Amino acid sequence: MADDVKILVVDDEPIIIRSCETVLKSEGFNVEGVLGGKEAILRMEQTSYDLVFTDLKMPEVDGITLIRWIKQKRPDTGIVIITGYPSQDTIKDALEVGIIDYVPKPFTPAVLLDVTQRAVEWIRRKAPVEKKEKEGEFPPSMLQEIDRVITQYKNKPGSSIPVLQRCQQIVGYLPPEIQKHIAKGLNLTPAQVHSVVSFYSFFTMKPRGDHNIRICLGTACYVKRVEESLNKIKEELKIDVGDVTQDKKFSLETVRCLGACGLAPVMVIDEETYGAVNPKKVMEIIEGYA
Amino acid sequence: MARLTLDDLKKIKEKQKSTFTLREGGYRAKITVHMGTCGIAAGARDIMTALMDEISLGKVEDVITTTSGCAGLCAREPMVTVEIMNKPPVKYGDLTDAKIREIFKEHIMGGTPVDKYALVIGSETTY
Amino acid sequence: MEKYRANLLMCAGTGCVASGTPKVRDALKAELEKRGLADEIKIVLTGCNGFCAEGPVMLVYPEEIFYQKLTVEDIPTLVEEHFLKGRPYEKLMFKDVEKKHAIPLMNDIPFFKHQVLRVLRNKGLIDPDSLDEYIARDGYLAAAKALKEMTPQDIIKTIKDSGLRGRGGAGFPTGLKWEFASKSQADQKYMLCNGDEGDPGAFMDRSVMESDPHSVIEGMIIGAKAIGASKGVIYVRAEYPLAVQRLQRAIDMCNESGLLGENILDSGFTFDLEIYLGAGAFVCGEETALMRSIEGQRGMPRPRPPFPAHKGLWDKPSVLNNVETLAQIAPTILNGAEWYRALGTEKSAGTKVFAITGDIKNVGLVEVPMGIPLRTIIYDIGGGINKKKKKFKSVQMGGPSGGCIPEQLLDIPVTYEDVVKTGAIMGSGGMVVMDEDTCMVSTAKFFLEFTADESCGKCTPCRVGTKVMLDMLTDITEGRGKDGDIETLEDLSRDIIGTSLCGLGQTAPNPVLSTIRYFRHEYESHIKDHWCQAGICSKLCSFHIVEELCKGCGACLRGCPQQAVVGEKKKPHRIIQELCIQCRTCYDACKFGSIEIKPAIRQEKTALAAKDEGGK
Repeated sequence: MADDVKILVVDDEPIIIRSCETVLKSEGFNVEGVLGGKEAILRMEQTSYDLVFTDLKMPEVDGITLIRWIKQKRPDTGIVIITGYPSQDTIKDALEVGIIDYVPKPFTPAVLLDVTQRAVEWIRRKAPVEKKEKEGEFPPSMLQEIDRVITQYKNKPGSSIPVLQRCQQIVGYLPPEIQKHIAKGLNLTPAQVHSVVSFYSFFTMKPRGDHNIRICLGTACYVKRVEESLNKIKEELKIDVGDVTQDKKFSLETVRCLGACGLAPVMVIDEETYGAVNPKKVMEIIEGYA
Repeated sequence: MARLTLDDLKKIKEKQKSTFTLREGGYRAKITVHMGTCGIAAGARDIMTALMDEISLGKVEDVITTTSGCAGLCAREPMVTVEIMNKPPVKYGDLTDAKIREIFKEHIMGGTPVDKYALVIGSETTY
Repeated sequence: MEKYRANLLMCAGTGCVASGTPKVRDALKAELEKRGLADEIKIVLTGCNGFCAEGPVMLVYPEEIFYQKLTVEDIPTLVEEHFLKGRPYEKLMFKDVEKKHAIPLMNDIPFFKHQVLRVLRNKGLIDPDSLDEYIARDGYLAAAKALKEMTPQDIIKTIKDSGLRGRGGAGFPTGLKWEFASKSQADQKYMLCNGDEGDPGAFMDRSVMESDPHSVIEGMIIGAKAIGASKGVIYVRAEYPLAVQRLQRAIDMCNESGLLGENILDSGFTFDLEIYLGAGAFVCGEETALMRSIEGQRGMPRPRPPFPAHKGLWDKPSVLNNVETLAQIAPTILNGAEWYRALGTEKSAGTKVFAITGDIKNVGLVEVPMGIPLRTIIYDIGGGINKKKKKFKSVQMGGPSGGCIPEQLLDIPVTYEDVVKTGAIMGSGGMVVMDEDTCMVSTAKFFLEFTADESCGKCTPCRVGTKVMLDMLTDITEGRGKDGDIETLEDLSRDIIGTSLCGLGQTAPNPVLSTIRYFRHEYESHIKDHWCQAGICSKLCSFHIVEELCKGCGACLRGCPQQAVVGEKKKPHRIIQELCIQCRTCYDACKFGSIEIKPAIRQEKTALAAKDEGGK
């Protein structure tokens, strides 16, 4: 059972690699070792591993850099650190970038095996769940629809914004997976797509509620004290601007002038515009949607 | 639609001018509901619905309703302009379902403008 | 009206046409020509002004003499008496109508009286989804004239001579812009329309796109011919769904009927037009940023030169015009440069649309000849402040790039030059009126929040500078202001203006500078006295009931969310300061003006807090 688990050990001390190999291979794990972060990256670009054991302090590419690289490029790989300095701070740093566990140096075979087994269990538990969630979130019909949009715009220069607008209409928001999908379809890098998504306020990476409330913060609305209505909504729905209520019913956004200044202050729910609102009126209107 | 030529433009213009004057269109009155973003948000759709309702209830055939953009006086939306053949247009503002029904009966069917709801009479200077 | 000695406004409304305007007009025209007056006196046809029973009617400018019941027979005498001898012809002059109209006429209502509609010529008159109705109002005749009878040079000359300046903000002469692009050599050029109306408080472009989409398209066709562009894009904000829908329908109709696409009106000219939806970034109002955005990238400005007229969209020569500018093109081509110049001033020719909003009675969209006093717009057309007892404080023009104009400057004529002198800018024509209950420091902060948020981040002075200024303003409005803050704000402003690349950064400090210039005392009172006299900055004010004025009606008591107001009915009430959270509810509720705003009660609060802590 353990032989289908591939482990890469990264440490600048050959003795550590050797002892890991001895201990883990005897338990049937598939183990390889490299002497630094740089080699590890080169190796991981060729093959994928289930687990990486890495030292933190290494010359050239250190452990934290390697972990960051893994998190970005090989997010499915589990990481365990081996460290001679298990101080609170280094562990905290490593935990923040997302490791599974750590092995203090020096270590006994029992400790190493124990940590390894827990890590293997952890990645096995996590992997299928995550996959299921991803599939559940974006049904094939949705992806087909997105592909249709991409095909339609593919050969038109400068079409990233219209494509993203249409896809946001389809999905409701633009999570990283969708952005990657679009990037691939339009022959762009994910960074290029993300740079557009993050620049324009129309795009959101968070899912919206069933009803999206938009409050106009234009000058006319400001002069007519729209802030009082906005604060009331925040207070009553217990959310901040950009958030979704716990029951996923409402999301709250602000917008820079809807051009309906004659009706200031203005609130828009989904596509419906409401004019001359005040704290009392906004809540009455919102209750109508609840 | 066929491709237009300059002559077509002129023909359409003449033809439309006569419809504008209501005579040749066979209509006695025209009601324009101002439906820009402001107007719609202030309730112009309800006004339109009420008008359609009155027209179908009374089986009225010589009155035409049409939509147009913002009338400019946002503070008084929803607004309509009522034009009876050979009479200057009258603009009404701050309308409600009840008010437009009253205007329909008094002004459009009866021919007497409803002073209390009317804002202004005539058209603006285009120059 | 500089070139003509007199303008004769003849009513071409339904009633007057029926009673003979066309014949009278022809007779009048012939008579003026016969007497050699045709170059001095101009006949203009106008919409109905309500005097249908007295028709045909005619108004003579500048004397404002009103003639009624004109007949062809009267014309020779009328011309001789009035226009040769200078004696108004009394026989036909308007006499007080015996029966007073119950409904006011257009000319009785200042809101309508001062307006002259060019851009908004079809507002509320035509169905925006009907091409025929647009054509009926002279639609596409100007395009036909430009495409069939004029060379690009003719068009450019007309627009240059008209003095038309870009209505988007900076006021660059439109004809000149077209000329530059026209002279650029390239295999492809672009005619672009900026419908990314970003200035909060301005909504004329939305209104034009919604109510008269063809006027924009026609302006673009003419511009495209002038510069030699075969492709065009209208960039519209995503926040304007109705405008997008109506423009799209209008473009579809034009494509079907050969007003767009190949060989328009059999002229051999080809122009394809499409809509590009913006995605919400204020900086995309800047031309180079907008073009980047159409290319599918982050909308960040780039240095000019090269100017878009040489290297614009996809590095091809491009012209970007604002919606309102484009809507002026067709009538100008049809009627000529002189007609255009007849209104407005020498340097600011023609009419301008303003969106008047805020604390004003007649919120709305108005079009007036440039050069009319600001006061006329605010008090006559706008009807003044919307609350009876409140006084005017300032009018904000130009959005986040503009400034606040105080009461004492309301008599300036509204032209590009005069508005700039006040520290504001014409901008796209948003006018937000503020009454005395507005705090000018908070207003400046509001605009800085906007620009700090919308700064694209390319230039450090703009990205960091606006944030630093915003932090300082936040400190001032929350009671942490220090001596010297005002001077630091002024210094920072100068640096940001001097070192930013695009218009956003170069104008971002304007709202701060102009409020410091005219309302410095408010900044000082915030910093030194911890007093926001308008009662907006909740940490810098306290509310008190003036006993002599309080009628004990209980309106404040009922509204108070903190139960901080106490008192018996019909006896003066009192506010318990320790409970008050400065929410202003009582102030707004009081009909007798008995609530007074005083500086924040700092010492007492501190003492109370100390007591509180001691108690624990």
